[in-house]
Amino acid sequence: MSEVPEDIAETVVKRFEEELKKPVRLVYFTQEMECPFCAQTHQLLETVAKLSENIGFEVYDFVKDKEKAEELGIEKIPALAILGGKDYGLRFYGIPSGYEFQTLIEGIILVSSGDSQLPSEAVEVLAKAATSPVHIQIFVIPTCPVCPVLGAMAFQFAVANSNISVDIVEIAEFPHLVNKYNVIGTPKAALNETTQFEGLVPPMQFINFIQQAAQGSPTGISPTI
Amino acid sequence: MKKVTEKQAIYDIAIIGSGVTGLAAAMYAGRMKLKTILIGFPPGGVIATTDWIENYPGFISLSGKELADKITAHAKEYGIEPILDNVTDVSQQDGVFVVQTAFRQYRAKTILFSTGTHYRKLEVPGSDTYEGKGVQFCGLCDGPMFQNKTLAVVGGGDSAAKEALILTQWAQRIYIMVRGDRLKAEPINLERVNQSEKITLLLNTNVTRIEGGDRVEKVLLDKPFQGNKELAVQGVFIAIGSVPLSDLAKKLGVKTNPKGEIVINRQTGTNIKGVFAAGDVTDTEFKQAITGVAEGVLAVYQAYKYIGGEAVSSCVDEEYLDCPMASENLRKQPE
Repeated sequence: MSEVPEDIAETVVKRFEEELKKPVRLVYFTQEMECPFCAQTHQLLETVAKLSENIGFEVYDFVKDKEKAEELGIEKIPALAILGGKDYGLRFYGIPSGYEFQTLIEGIILVSSGDSQLPSEAVEVLAKAATSPVHIQIFVIPTCPVCPVLGAMAFQFAVANSNISVDIVEIAEFPHLVNKYNVIGTPKAALNETTQFEGLVPPMQFINFIQQAAQGSPTGISPTI
Repeated sequence: MKKVTEKQAIYDIAIIGSGVTGLAAAMYAGRMKLKTILIGFPPGGVIATTDWIENYPGFISLSGKELADKITAHAKEYGIEPILDNVTDVSQQDGVFVVQTAFRQYRAKTILFSTGTHYRKLEVPGSDTYEGKGVQFCGLCDGPMFQNKTLAVVGGGDSAAKEALILTQWAQRIYIMVRGDRLKAEPINLERVNQSEKITLLLNTNVTRIEGGDRVEKVLLDKPFQGNKELAVQGVFIAIGSVPLSDLAKKLGVKTNPKGEIVINRQTGTNIKGVFAAGDVTDTEFKQAITGVAEGVLAVYQAYKYIGGEAVSSCVDEEYLDCPMASENLRKQPE
């Protein structure tokens, strides 16, 4: 999907009008010799940016704008950094199409407000768990209906806690990562190269994995769904 | 368990489970002006992993997630904000129900269990070993990982048929292993299975073992197929039914049947006053999204009455003599 269907666009516009109160920057990285989905991703993000006057859209060349890429920690393309009043560490690698469009919208709304929308008790528990930097990669595919739940939850954690950064990775575009992380089902999460889990887990279980990753404890489980 | 404090708000109804049943119940509770809390995870429940639904009236075809999203949006119109979390405990203290999540505690006058079900696991050697390594439960989530592969779908009902049909988008060949002598799918899905060139039905066949290296490589069968009891597959999708998620209800003392389903009466009541149940977790025979939604709505109405709400008339015109809400004077008038 590179264009947003009219009915979905209307819903998103309504949500943006209600919830997008502060500016958001969609910072997109592509390159001159574009990757297979770069053009479609570019078009999709440009369309989304037009759905609210509070969204800015910036395009950088991954090669020519190396410094900018390094500043935002971008290592592959197509890449999107979703920036609000500050950089909360929300990244999207690959096209946010299919069900992943929802994750993109949730990310935009979260960084706009800077409010994770988590209950205060969860924020407290998270603060005790993420005592050192935790980089979360969530591997998804556009047809996975439960993936946005995990992705949006991870985005909430990143907004709530500056030690957490999140990459959503659309695996069809990064087959080497499928092999590296042995992705056979989605969603799958890899935290700090030490901790992995498969499937959708509730918030407290996710926080437990974050704590393990922060402490450098290797682990991995495979809940169903 | 945190101690209950007097400052905590008391909800009229706590709905546990955020599948379509719980969502629809919450929407109605909002309309009934009940102070409502809806807690559940994952949002949308199991139906959210269904690719297409063609038997929900009003929608010729839509995905399970679309249906759940639509009902969620409808509930939000009435002020319902679902809480995405698992309930870890339910108890009864001082005449109110106490619902505990990982982070918070809620108190309510009534409870509705709409906790649904979870996938049933295949209990054969190798099933646990290869879970997530080729033994999968969600065709939509994991199907693209099996591009041009040969797959087994284990199950004899409509879920197995639908799972196999979803997987035809990616797989080269799919074998449905049916324990019985026929696939008990909805006729329309059975027809689609029979018409698919990618699907082969293996009737009266059980998988007895799943084997492989790092990932699934083959299944062993109890009956030879093309002269061989070993079948090379790269994935096994399990669709052998579901297990009701009734442990919390049982802990509260709610009666269940031998299958673990919550026993309800025609008004969705359980053996405990103020506790209602609806949807796939109950002992209702025909479990569909539409029947769960209807039960959820009925349960909310019963909860509304239980806490003292006045009966709602369905009559269009209360002067109509057959209407239960017609005034006594009207009823006494000769025809």
